[in-house]
Amino acid sequence: MEKIFGVLLNGLSMGAIYALLALGFVLIFKSTGILNFAHGELAMIGAFVCYSLAMQYGLPYFIAFMLAIAFGALLGAVVEMVFFRRMVGEPIFSTIMITVGLASILTSVAGVVWGHDVYPLRGPFTDKTVLIGGAVIGQGAVYTLLISLVLFGAFALFFTRSLLGVSMKGTAEDPHTASLMGINVNRIHMVAWAIGGLVAAMAGIFLADQSFVRLSMSHTGIKAMSAAILGGMESIRGAVVGGLLVGIVEGLAANYLSGAVIGGFHFGDIKEVAAFAIMIVVLMIRPQGIFGSEKVERV
Amino acid sequence: MGGKFHTTYEQDMAILQSLWVKVWLGILVFLLMLCPYILTRYQLSILNEMAIAVIGALGLNLLVGYTGQISLGHGAFLAIGAYTTALCADNLGLPFVVTLPLSGFMAALLGMIVGVPSLRLKGLYLALGTLAFGFIVEYVLFHWDIAQGDMGLSVKPISVLGVSITKEQHFFYVAVGFAFLATLCAKNIVRSKIGRSFIAIRDRDIAAEAMGIPLAKYKIMAFAISSFYAGIAGALTAHYQKWIVPGSFDLSLSIAYIAMIILGGLGTILGAVLGAILITGIPHGIVLVTDILKESYPKLSGLIVDLKLGIFGLIVVLALSFEPQGLAGIYRRAKTYWKTWPFRY
Repeated sequence: MEKIFGVLLNGLSMGAIYALLALGFVLIFKSTGILNFAHGELAMIGAFVCYSLAMQYGLPYFIAFMLAIAFGALLGAVVEMVFFRRMVGEPIFSTIMITVGLASILTSVAGVVWGHDVYPLRGPFTDKTVLIGGAVIGQGAVYTLLISLVLFGAFALFFTRSLLGVSMKGTAEDPHTASLMGINVNRIHMVAWAIGGLVAAMAGIFLADQSFVRLSMSHTGIKAMSAAILGGMESIRGAVVGGLLVGIVEGLAANYLSGAVIGGFHFGDIKEVAAFAIMIVVLMIRPQGIFGSEKVERV
Repeated sequence: MGGKFHTTYEQDMAILQSLWVKVWLGILVFLLMLCPYILTRYQLSILNEMAIAVIGALGLNLLVGYTGQISLGHGAFLAIGAYTTALCADNLGLPFVVTLPLSGFMAALLGMIVGVPSLRLKGLYLALGTLAFGFIVEYVLFHWDIAQGDMGLSVKPISVLGVSITKEQHFFYVAVGFAFLATLCAKNIVRSKIGRSFIAIRDRDIAAEAMGIPLAKYKIMAFAISSFYAGIAGALTAHYQKWIVPGSFDLSLSIAYIAMIILGGLGTILGAVLGAILITGIPHGIVLVTDILKESYPKLSGLIVDLKLGIFGLIVVLALSFEPQGLAGIYRRAKTYWKTWPFRY
C-alpha cells in the first residue's frame, strides 16, 4: 500500500511538469491555433539560461529563476514577431512546419552556446525531500505541483473573467472577425506566445531540478503534447488533468511493467511510450480528448 | 494570355500534357542514364538517397496532400518495410522479388490499421495519433528480440536471378527506376476515380460523403497506398544501407518527410519530387560548404552537427514564410511570369 502511494506521488511530481508544459502548449494553441512543436525547446532554453545565471554567473537562485522566466517570455514574444506574424491565415500545415523548423533552430543555437554536455542545476530545494503519508517526495516536485495548480486557477480566471483572456478566446475562434471587432490580433498573439514561453521556461527549470540540464530534455515537450491532446487541446483543465494522468501512468508502467519479458519482448523503458499508448486509447474512445468539446460541422 | 486549352477529354487526362513535357522528360532520362558514368561514388550516393526519398515522399503526399490526413508516423512505415525485408531475406531466405512487394504489403496492412482511427480523428488529433504510432513502432523494434534492438540487422544486397547489385552505379539504376515507377503510379492514381475521391475528401469530407464517396473505404485506402510506398522506400533503404537500426527511423525521419512534401508543395506530384530532392540535398550541401570554409575557419568542423540542424530549420522556416505554397508554388509563379512577360498579367 505504501509502495503504490509512493509510486503515485512520484508519478504526480513528473505529471506536474507535464501539466505545466501542457498548459503553455494549450495556451498558445487556444489563442493562436498553432500547434507548437518547439515547446520543449523553449523549456530547454529556459533551463539553460537559468543554469548559466545561477551556476556560471553565481546569481542567487531566485533571481536567476525570475530572469530566466522573463527571458522565456521575451523569447516567446520575439518568436511570434519574427516567425508567426506573417503566417496568420496560412494553412495549418505550414505553421506546424515552421514550429518544427524553429525547434531545429533553437536546438542548434543551444548546442552552439552550451554544448552537448549534461549540467546539474542546483536549486534551494534540490535533493530535499518531504514525507507525505509514509512516501518520500522531492520538495521541488511539491512546488511544481502547487505552482501548476495555482497557474491553472489563474488561467481559468483569466480566460473567463479578464478582457484580454476573452479576446484571446475570440481571436482563436476567428482572427479576422476578432480584428473587425476591434481586437488587436497581433498583440493578442504576442501576449499568448509570451505567456506560453514564460510557462515553458518555468517547466524547463523544474524539470532540470528533477534531473539535469541537457539538449535532449526538449523531448519532454512531445510527451507534454500528448498530455495536452489527452485532455483536449483547447481545455486548460484538460491540460492539467492530462499532464497528471500521463505522469501517473508513466510511474505505474515504470514500476510494474519494466523488466517484464513476454515471448522475446522486453518491456524495458516502457515509461517512454506509456504516454503515447494511453493517448491512443483515449483518442479511440473520445476523439476530442477528455475535456474537449465536440465540434459540430456544417457543410 | 497563352494558356493551354484542351478540346477532348483524352487530352485533358494525358499524363504528358504537351510536346515540351515529353522533350524535357526525355532529356532528364538521358542525363540520368549518363550519371553513373560521370559522377563520383559520393555524388551517386546522394542521388540514390534522393531517389528513395522521392518514393517515400510521393506516398506521404498522396495521404497528406491529396487526402488531407496528416501523418507524423511515416518513418515508422519505412521502418516496417525495412525490417520486413531484412527479416524475410534473412530468416526465410526469400528472394528480393518477393521481399520487396511483401514489405510494401506489410506496411500497407499496418497502415490500414492506423487508418481506422482516422475515421474518427481529424486534423491535429490524427497527427498526434500517428506520431504516437511512430514512437510505439520504434519502441517495439528496440525491445523485440527478433529485431535485435540496438545491434541492428544486416541486410544482404539486392540479387535478382543470380545477379547481385552491390555497386553504387548499379543501385542507382534500381533506385531511379523505382522512383520513376512510383511517380507514374502516383500520377495514375491521382487522375483516376480514386485520386478524385481523395481530393474530394480533402476539400470537404462531409460534402464528399454526401456525394456518395464512401469515406471509410477511401481514407483507409489512402493510408494503405501511402504506407505501401513507404514500405517500398524502407525496403530499398535497408538494401542500400546494408545495416538497419531502429534509431534511423525515428521522429526526425517522419518530420523530414513532412518537410519534403510541405516545402515541395502539398497536393502536387512535382512538389513531392522537388521537396524530396531538396531536403535530402540540404545536409550534403552544408557539408560541402563547411568543407570549403574549413581552411579559413578550422573551428567550424566541431559545430557541424549543430549547424546542420540549424540551417535545416532556417531553410524550412524561410521557405515557408516567403512561399507557403512550397517549391511547386514558386515553379507555378515563375511559369506564369515568363508566359506573360513583359506584362504583369
